[in-house]
Amino acid sequence: MMNILVQKFGGTSVDRAEHRALAVRKVIQAREAGFSPVVVVSAIGRAGAPYATDTLVKVLKDIDPQVPPAPREMDMMMACGEIISTVVFAHTLQTFGFKSIALSGGQAGIITDDVFGNARIVEIRSNYILELIAQGYIPVVCGFQGTTDPSASTEHGAITTLGRGGSDTTASALGAALNAVGVEIYTDVDGVKTADPDLVSKARTLDVCSYEEVAEIAHQGAKVVHPRAAEIAMDHNIPLWVKSTFSEAPGTRITSTVPAETVGRRLTGITHTGKMVYIRLEIDNAEHKQQVEREVYRMMARAGINIFLVTFSPTSLSFCVPRNRYPVARDLLDGMVVPVQHTEVDTDGKLATYYIFKFSEGLDLAYSVQRPLLASVEKFTDIVDVPATVVESCTMVSVIAAGHRSVSGIIATIYEALSNAGIAVYQTADSEMSVSFLIPESEVDRAVRLLHAKLFED
Amino acid sequence: MAASAQSTSFLPPGHVSFERERGVYALEIMRGVAHAVIEVGEDAGRNGRILRVFSTLASAGVPVFLVKMHRTAVTLAFTGADCDKALAALSSNGLKVDIRQKLSLVIVRAASMRDLHGVMVAIADSLFAAGARLHETGDSHNSVQCLIDESRAAEAERELCARFDLPPEAVHHFDVATECA
Repeated sequence: MMNILVQKFGGTSVDRAEHRALAVRKVIQAREAGFSPVVVVSAIGRAGAPYATDTLVKVLKDIDPQVPPAPREMDMMMACGEIISTVVFAHTLQTFGFKSIALSGGQAGIITDDVFGNARIVEIRSNYILELIAQGYIPVVCGFQGTTDPSASTEHGAITTLGRGGSDTTASALGAALNAVGVEIYTDVDGVKTADPDLVSKARTLDVCSYEEVAEIAHQGAKVVHPRAAEIAMDHNIPLWVKSTFSEAPGTRITSTVPAETVGRRLTGITHTGKMVYIRLEIDNAEHKQQVEREVYRMMARAGINIFLVTFSPTSLSFCVPRNRYPVARDLLDGMVVPVQHTEVDTDGKLATYYIFKFSEGLDLAYSVQRPLLASVEKFTDIVDVPATVVESCTMVSVIAAGHRSVSGIIATIYEALSNAGIAVYQTADSEMSVSFLIPESEVDRAVRLLHAKLFED
Repeated sequence: MAASAQSTSFLPPGHVSFERERGVYALEIMRGVAHAVIEVGEDAGRNGRILRVFSTLASAGVPVFLVKMHRTAVTLAFTGADCDKALAALSSNGLKVDIRQKLSLVIVRAASMRDLHGVMVAIADSLFAAGARLHETGDSHNSVQCLIDESRAAEAERELCARFDLPPEAVHHFDVATECA
């Protein structure tokens, strides 16, 4: 029984010698407690730091900003940050007198598919790492990276990166592959909080929460554990901890078992995420509405624009797009024509209806060009405007509330709090795990504080 | 409603399959859902009436989901079993409500749904092919939820399974029925 404990340290835990010393202390404590630690590290520091991933990427992009680097080469470059960090961490452990060895993702046996920039782990060949542990080494593994199968006919042994939250994903996957007793995610906060502590001074640390809750919190914008890591831990039932490198606080235990005192709904936290734009299209024809809507979805999909908070009414379709994609969405939709053929010629002799999308004054350049061109077919077709109204600068505030669909009242409580504070609610969304409210971005800080006070401090 | 479990099979030691599949991996169909359209107007009293809708249903002990704000109405869903209770509570509070019953909530599951392009159009095309009118949708990071007529649910299931290449074991059914009197 090797009693393996995977310990992952993020960028701020390894950015300076004194921070690394604290991180190394956590590893030594684990060893002294009888565990066989396997360390996973992120690149040193965050954006702007000399070996941070963003800094390395900039080196490539600066060569010619007009020519994007190839994904394969980009992954090789991005992987360098973790390699440097791993070597530094392993050497630091050696200076403390411990046998340690730095391993790239590939050397640790992490095999991924060949989707560069967002690869998925398909296999971990753990024999080598287990051998090293048996020999008394503390393996220090690069987070965020793997390689394609060296025996594959294409892209054999190419370095890949796992995308956002990749180091957490590495830690969870190694925990599963090595049958670890636990995975500890070390960061600069002492666990999963009920709200962003930068916004809410009274945010408290949760002692325990479920995999589903932490995945939901992460998906809804809190930077605790990446949801992929939580999902791997959940699927393989690996106990997960979120702890601080900089304190001895016990952290948050993430587990499959819901606390015994919890019956029905359980409130876990408040998160906020995203800069969004809310678009509402008036489609005043029930018979054709579904066809027109499908063309909107199709156009957004072709442009790679994700839409969410989709809402129907008998005469409208509303949805959100990320703000950085809104100019593209607007340019595609304004002036777009959706022809719908009639099943039979109507009493006015019209064969079809042409729906043309029109954004508000000043944003309707394409419409103003396209609309006159349709005049020539008006004899045979109905031309119907689809006016678009837009709310810019929105954001989503979410309350993580497992079980809210079986217990009444949470939506009333939240809406009342926001409404009484004069905070506009443009739209809502809910899933089994959360309730979200689309509000003006300028109100996000106030809304989070208000809801935290109402739901967690009262 | 239980979250669908992702099947994970362990290969021999040293060869483990880890992550969830990209894209759609499961379908859940909840039968017996009711959908209410509640008029709230668009005058200065709109906010107060919306609040009255939520507090009325909360006091009546009716959990709601798929809540959506419209210009002159709030729409929401609840289980068919709560239909009588909801109708009585809303009506007695002077709220004008129209309830549609015999609906199915079709939930399409995918890991990181909001990072995927084109799922919504694929769903809309499938439902259109199934002759299923979409009464409302909802979405989260791991699902798109579509409220359709129960009579079209079986056809919708067939179309969606074909579209997303889902095996029968990836489809889960729930029943929350018992209609209004």
